[in-house]
Amino acid sequence: MERATQTQPNDHLVEDMLAIAQRRDQLALTRLFDHYVPKVRAFCLAAQPGSNIMADDIAQEVMIRIWNKAHTYKPEAASLNTWVFTLARNARIDYLRKNSRHQSSIDPEYLWRNVVDENADPFKDAQQKRDQERIQQGLDKLPPDQKQVLSKVYLEGKTHKEAAAELSLPLGTIKSRVRLAMHKLTIYIKR
Amino acid sequence: MLNHHPSIEMLTDYAAGSLALSHSLCIAAHLEHCPECQQQVQKLEILGAHFFDQVPQESSRLDKLKDTFFERLEKQPTIQKNTPLADHAENSTLWDKYKVPYSLRQFITKSYDELTWMRLSPSFKIAILHNEEGGPQVSLTRVKAGAHMPTHTHTGDEITLVLEGAFSDEQGVYRRGDFINRDASHKHKPIVTKDAECICLTVLDAPIEFTGWFARLFNPILRRYHPHSP
Repeated sequence: MERATQTQPNDHLVEDMLAIAQRRDQLALTRLFDHYVPKVRAFCLAAQPGSNIMADDIAQEVMIRIWNKAHTYKPEAASLNTWVFTLARNARIDYLRKNSRHQSSIDPEYLWRNVVDENADPFKDAQQKRDQERIQQGLDKLPPDQKQVLSKVYLEGKTHKEAAAELSLPLGTIKSRVRLAMHKLTIYIKR
Repeated sequence: MLNHHPSIEMLTDYAAGSLALSHSLCIAAHLEHCPECQQQVQKLEILGAHFFDQVPQESSRLDKLKDTFFERLEKQPTIQKNTPLADHAENSTLWDKYKVPYSLRQFITKSYDELTWMRLSPSFKIAILHNEEGGPQVSLTRVKAGAHMPTHTHTGDEITLVLEGAFSDEQGVYRRGDFINRDASHKHKPIVTKDAECICLTVLDAPIEFTGWFARLFNPILRRYHPHSP
């Protein structure tokens, strides 16, 4: 076990994940429900304001996936928040795919796999924490206009084109804001 | 080392889940070859998680939802730790010449040879994986070593992902895993390298009205071979 100096606010939730994986602990699942369901609902409502039925449905789906996939979660590869975000994102994509006019038969389950997880890397834990810190620090300093575009893309599920239309800005401006932001967050390194 | 990657905007949309599924399919196949882009996507997901964590929440009572959820959970079948899919994937690599990327295994269970390939010229074959009315067309193209691909312009964007072999055009050489995004204005004349055949995943954003000669000429045939038709 890691020393307590690395304690993060989500540590008790990570323990709950272990309790689910090892003992099928429903009380632990209840605690995760209380923490994550309001977030997942808000995440869905950001994309489709007023769609409470959709939000409830996706939130339940995410909790079922947490219950079924708890044993695949690896704390050294990703923080619990990141892991749950990817579950919520995928559940939202799946819901929209099945319930929209443009039904697609491409199955999203195949498209977002944790490819990297399979390569055990002793430095991954440290690397992951460093990335977390850098991104958090960068985010705090990001100008509001860049943050706004990222929020539209991530929370509202808008493409760059849609974000441009909604903010009445040229697509080029949106693209350059995203690029600038990714530079500052050290996510984008020019090749 | 790969030379051709998706743009950061596209990777961002992929990580955020706002990118079209057909385009996401190409990104997923590229990621299987590209640790560099994998890392970027991981960071983009960390970023997404920050927005997710700080999303403004409304205070609503969730007791009823919780009851419904636990009732639903009771009805869940017990889970299997190893999905049959993963086992199957392992088996398929043992005897197959090519390894089909994981992201494409929803269309191809064992080998590229199981697909219905349409021969459009002595050296050029195409297999449609997915076709949506008014939406994108996802297909595989298979071109013999040293042969030209048909010259074409597109009405929408075209994404090409090299699955096997290599080809080149006026702008460079593209090898296994390379990701090429061309817009409607682009006209190119690709040629496959002489050492091996080339298999590519291609996504065409086909608008409802086809105007390119290539699509116009072959569309009746392509529709007949649509994988979902009886």
